[in-house]
Amino acid sequence: MLVEFTDTEFMICTAARLLEDRKTVFVGWGMPQLVAMLAERLYTPQLVQLYEFGAVGPQSQTPFVRGTMGGPTNVYRSLQWSNMNWAFSYAATGYVDYGMIGAAQIDGYGNVNSTLLGESYERPGRRFPGSGGGNEVASLCWKTILVMKHEPRRFVQRVDFITSPGYLDGPGAREKAGLPQGTGPWRVVTSKALFGFEQETKRLTLLGVLKGMAAPEVLQGMECEPLVAQAVEALAPPTEDELRVLRREIDPSGIIIRGEKMRAAR
Amino acid sequence: METIQQGTAEVRFTHPDAFREWVRQHKRREMVEKLLSEREAIARFVADGDYIAYDFSSLTRGPQALVREIIRQRRKDLWVCAEFTLHETALLVGGGCASRIDVGFLGYGNYICRAVSEGRVRVFDWTNGSLASRMLAAARGVPFMPVRTLLGTDTLCRSGARVVSDPFTGGPICLVPALNPDVCLLHVHQADLFGNARIFGTNLFALEAAMAGKKVIVSTEEIIDPLEFRKDPARTTIPYFLVDAVVHLPFGAYPAGVQARYELDLEHIDKLNAIQTEEQMQAYLSEYVYAVEDHADFLERKVGWRRLQDLTRRATTREGYH
Repeated sequence: MLVEFTDTEFMICTAARLLEDRKTVFVGWGMPQLVAMLAERLYTPQLVQLYEFGAVGPQSQTPFVRGTMGGPTNVYRSLQWSNMNWAFSYAATGYVDYGMIGAAQIDGYGNVNSTLLGESYERPGRRFPGSGGGNEVASLCWKTILVMKHEPRRFVQRVDFITSPGYLDGPGAREKAGLPQGTGPWRVVTSKALFGFEQETKRLTLLGVLKGMAAPEVLQGMECEPLVAQAVEALAPPTEDELRVLRREIDPSGIIIRGEKMRAAR
Repeated sequence: METIQQGTAEVRFTHPDAFREWVRQHKRREMVEKLLSEREAIARFVADGDYIAYDFSSLTRGPQALVREIIRQRRKDLWVCAEFTLHETALLVGGGCASRIDVGFLGYGNYICRAVSEGRVRVFDWTNGSLASRMLAAARGVPFMPVRTLLGTDTLCRSGARVVSDPFTGGPICLVPALNPDVCLLHVHQADLFGNARIFGTNLFALEAAMAGKKVIVSTEEIIDPLEFRKDPARTTIPYFLVDAVVHLPFGAYPAGVQARYELDLEHIDKLNAIQTEEQMQAYLSEYVYAVEDHADFLERKVGWRRLQDLTRRATTREGYH
């Protein structure tokens, strides 16, 4: 059966399937908020979400109000209402298993740029909002998941600006810089594919592509040349349940989940 | 301790003893009424060149009415601590009020990003967490806070943080300098006339910023009797002696919402999101900031009772906000 969906929907669903129940996850602004809501409703009812605005374990109300961070719907039925210094302290002390943030640009070691494009810091070609809490999430959580639109030009040899740390310039670099041991990026979810990092080299590695697509098609035009796993998984398109929750409950306006129209066989 | 690395940002640093002396001389310990209009509060407590910080977000409980008053009074050369910012930095830059921004989250949309690219405002990159840690250091009366973030990144290079070798572990540790804003703006659910204040729901660093701030302006949805604080002291967010001015501003976060009071006005927020050009920015400021006398006038002429009634009706999530 052929199913129709947007690339954004596929990205949210793929990320939601990665999360593990009965664990903790630090959720960043934007797309990760939708991923966490979908996962909570379908897959991980006991996954405890933490937010930099001080909410621990909310069961967010739907629909999601665009752009909100810390509004009454975002913090609904939390276990604790606190503040930013305490929220990040839970991650700093090792209590947070997963982190999930967005990215404008990444490189082959999973370093994240959400600050600027171009050579000049004072007069950047393009300026973005900056770290927000992304640097904290990427520094302190055990496993960080990056969620980003699949545009090959966003995968570069070297990011124009390291906003939030991936593996920096290779194995051991995080620890050498003083970041907590054993942390780092774990998965990169895009609107067409799924990447991980090779254990030894910490290089970005293609793990899966949307069912019906081929690895070369997905990697074409990427400057950073990711490795390719021996068996590249065919990632299932969004299920009916996922699309129902996304379209009817989380974003009935359709403004956030809109995107490139895609089709795949279920 | 050996300094291993040092960021390039300009930092406005206050020695903890200088801050203590400021508190000794300027912060009143006696309980006196501090009720002012927003015009008086901004005129008295926000000066050109000040560093300003605020709590919470553009969409929830941000001190929007106070920010509009700052723009109306055309303050200049402000240095803004931007955190959970979608629109405030853009409006302050558009109004010619801000010349420097410490970035946690710069803001949303093309207007502010272009202002940075064109060099109309200087930015220094930090992170939400490191700015919160800077505020915490200031609130503790110590010159810096050690953190295990920023390390290894360009963010650190462009911030004012330093990396030193930690005397306890021997490894590198990042130190962020205490941040004492000249002005701290807070919009709260309830306050008394002395400045005791309650915030319901979460916050970023309301108490830290109020403690770190040299001048603290609290705007409040509701004025309550001081006795209420003594009846339920666990609910006090800010004690009166931190506060310099109390401004009674119902709907003071509009177009943001305030939890259990009124919903955000997405329609108006989309107007702000749509601002891209200088012309659009000046048109917005003319209509909604310069053309009104004060917050009450703004609500009467630019928002209207029917809209406020609707936003109030929609704020039906009440659990925990009392």
